[in-house]
Amino acid sequence: MANGTWKISRRGNAHLPLIIVAALAVALILVGKAQSALFDRARASIIDWMRPALVASRAPMEALNNWVSSIGEIFVVYQENLKLKEENARLRQWRNTAVVLDDRLKRYQLLLHAVPDPALTTVVAKVIGRASQPFLQTMILDAGKSNNVKPGQAVVDARGMIGRIFLTGQRTSWVILLTDLNSRIPISITPDSAQAIMTGDNSPEPLIEALPPNAQIKPGDQVVSSGDGDILPAGLPIGVVVREGDALRVALFADPSSAQDVQILDFKRPPEHPPAASPSDLPVTAAGLPPAAAEPQMNVLPPPQLLPQIKKPAPSATPPANPPAGAQTDGPADDQ
Amino acid sequence: MERMGNIIGGRLIASIIPVLCGIVGVFVSNLPFSFLGGWFPAPLYALMPIYFWCLVRPDLMSPGWAFVIGVLHDMLSGGPPGIWAASFVATYALVDKQRDAFAGLSGWGALLGFATASLMCCACGYLFYVFYRWQWLPISPYMKEFAATVLLYAPVAVGLGAVHRKLVGPLRSDF
Repeated sequence: MANGTWKISRRGNAHLPLIIVAALAVALILVGKAQSALFDRARASIIDWMRPALVASRAPMEALNNWVSSIGEIFVVYQENLKLKEENARLRQWRNTAVVLDDRLKRYQLLLHAVPDPALTTVVAKVIGRASQPFLQTMILDAGKSNNVKPGQAVVDARGMIGRIFLTGQRTSWVILLTDLNSRIPISITPDSAQAIMTGDNSPEPLIEALPPNAQIKPGDQVVSSGDGDILPAGLPIGVVVREGDALRVALFADPSSAQDVQILDFKRPPEHPPAASPSDLPVTAAGLPPAAAEPQMNVLPPPQLLPQIKKPAPSATPPANPPAGAQTDGPADDQ
Repeated sequence: MERMGNIIGGRLIASIIPVLCGIVGVFVSNLPFSFLGGWFPAPLYALMPIYFWCLVRPDLMSPGWAFVIGVLHDMLSGGPPGIWAASFVATYALVDKQRDAFAGLSGWGALLGFATASLMCCACGYLFYVFYRWQWLPISPYMKEFAATVLLYAPVAVGLGAVHRKLVGPLRSDF
């Protein structure tokens, strides 16, 4: 340690550069606040440059982490295995139910000419980094602009939403986690579809804010993304409501600290085409005048079509033992 | 002539080793893995070489280098730019001003001296961040970072001392 035994070298008056450097540091904070994009680009370039090292160091560090965290689990392997088998059997039943209901929903949508759900394409990425700084909870993924990843896109794992992209490099991207202090997500709380904002506060369970005054929320209610603002797709599973004192929080389904492979959802809301007006709807016809000549077919908007959807990941909450009655009575059988 | 070359080379190496240690500290602090499951923030390894050589060889660890190391830490950590740079410079200013008092400490006293510097750095980081966001924030993340940094200073300082004696110190003795 630094102590008095070493000869300490002396230097001339360093106060002038210290003042200059301090002024530079303050200026940097101010410029960074005003021009954050400039620093974000530099940051993305540095991480792009470091990507091979991050990817190479990922496997051994992960193995070490897994080994350390699995030491305590060795003693409960048998009980855990039995529990998982039972849960797996129940989930198979639920999968069958989901397939049947999904098929039925598609038929109803076709019959009703419903506006299709937004198209979702996904990019699968590996987690190559996790930042653990005060007031900063982020992940680094090995997919970037070259994979068509853009800021704002939602990131999910098999259990639910983890966060959203906030910075993209050429081959890497940064994810701001739902628990981060800067995270704000519009949510919908079932069964009443109460709209609110989920705010990260650096705790493992983000806060629910901006609830309508008459909302009846109780612990255990499911929280999904509301899709407000067209930033995120609606219906992404996020977690369940828990109460902590007077505050309502969300126990997240996803566990960012253990997620290894994630999906980045590319959300494009298709333009909603209004149905073409019939001749009887036209004002001239309604006024008793002869209708105008038929418009060229080019101007007729195409009818909405159902676009392919991704299957949303099932929430990790344990489902009830029996699926709802009636859901299994029709539709295709599952390949159990 | 050959001796002159050795001297110049040795001087160059001696002058870059403290800064290199700071840069290595930045990289280690921002390793993308958490052995503590995210419960504790990564310690401020970059602060340790700054504090150490600010006391022992301030000519090799100037305020400018402290600023550069802080900027690198900001860039890699993903936080707002300038927060850690300003915190490191503020800590440097404190240590530089009270250098005789800090440098005379040994054993637990040295650890206490570093704890003071670390507390200054974390407090500055917290205050700068509060001003940056213009919002009161929980102090616990910075307290955790402070605790982790102080706890890990002792083993790191032993390594820094060895580096100083073996690489920086002997090279300096040529002059």
